[in-house]
Amino acid sequence: QRARSQNIVPCTVSQLLAAEQVDETFRIRDVEISQVTIMGIIRHAEKAPTNILYKVDDMTAAPMDVRQWVDTDEAGGENVVVPPGTYVKVAGHLRSFQNKKSLVAFKIMPLENMNEFTTHILEIVNAHMILRKNLMVSSRMPQSLSSAGIGDVGSYRGGGSLPVNGLTAHQSQVLNLIKNCPVAEGMSLQELKFQLHNISMATIKQAVEFLSSEGHIYSTVDDDHYKSTDAE
Amino acid sequence: IHPTGKLFVLSDGEGKHATVELSEPLDEEISGILEVVGRVTSQATIMCMSYVQFREDKSPFDLELYNEALKIIHEFPEYFPFG
Repeated sequence: QRARSQNIVPCTVSQLLAAEQVDETFRIRDVEISQVTIMGIIRHAEKAPTNILYKVDDMTAAPMDVRQWVDTDEAGGENVVVPPGTYVKVAGHLRSFQNKKSLVAFKIMPLENMNEFTTHILEIVNAHMILRKNLMVSSRMPQSLSSAGIGDVGSYRGGGSLPVNGLTAHQSQVLNLIKNCPVAEGMSLQELKFQLHNISMATIKQAVEFLSSEGHIYSTVDDDHYKSTDAE
Repeated sequence: IHPTGKLFVLSDGEGKHATVELSEPLDEEISGILEVVGRVTSQATIMCMSYVQFREDKSPFDLELYNEALKIIHEFPEYFPFG
């Protein structure tokens, strides 16, 4: 039985529209998603007896349909329609019907502090980066350390099938040096600087951090020593 | 804001200025942080299609931070696609 994603993932509308659906599961670039948050401005609100249909625009794609079910037994609070022109945070489930994506919201909150918008866009990049990194790491270790409960990662084999076009020239150089290092405790930052004398230490450190967060390398005895996850 | 009300100048998180043109003159007084959606013209101004004023009644909006965040998301189009 495949574990469902337990996370609530912040996303852009463009990501949700691009998500691929396999049976009951949605994936954005192999990251499984179910519950999501989006943040945008209400362009349109339509009240029906059992639900309110909003169109929420976050400027990354066309406004997305967001449906909020109305509890007909309870009066007040829940049934107030948020006016168009308001920025809101929506938490809900991604749905697809006849190839059209929409959200079923369990919470719609007007933003009181617009700095939340800044936080949200950064969280999107961060969350998707970390979730993807977990996928790569768990394909190498038998016990999955990721909290996302990712199921089938058979599409990620080790070694040569990793795409190299995601790396810059500096990152590739650093990675290759680390890969070819025969020493047990791995390659040290000082050794990298010695070998790559035309690259500054700051650039090397940035490359190491990126490679580490993508799962290509890991630190060994301390934060100055790294080994490649592809090494035999 | 220009006296005709059809033009105003915005200053972004880095202190750079942008001129925004409107098809209809403004019918209200505006100040503070605005989000303008529009097209860039050949004279490097923005032809405004719509604008929204940000709420700052509860807390001020950190424009420099937002500018930095924008730079970051443009560095990672794989995690923040513009459809």
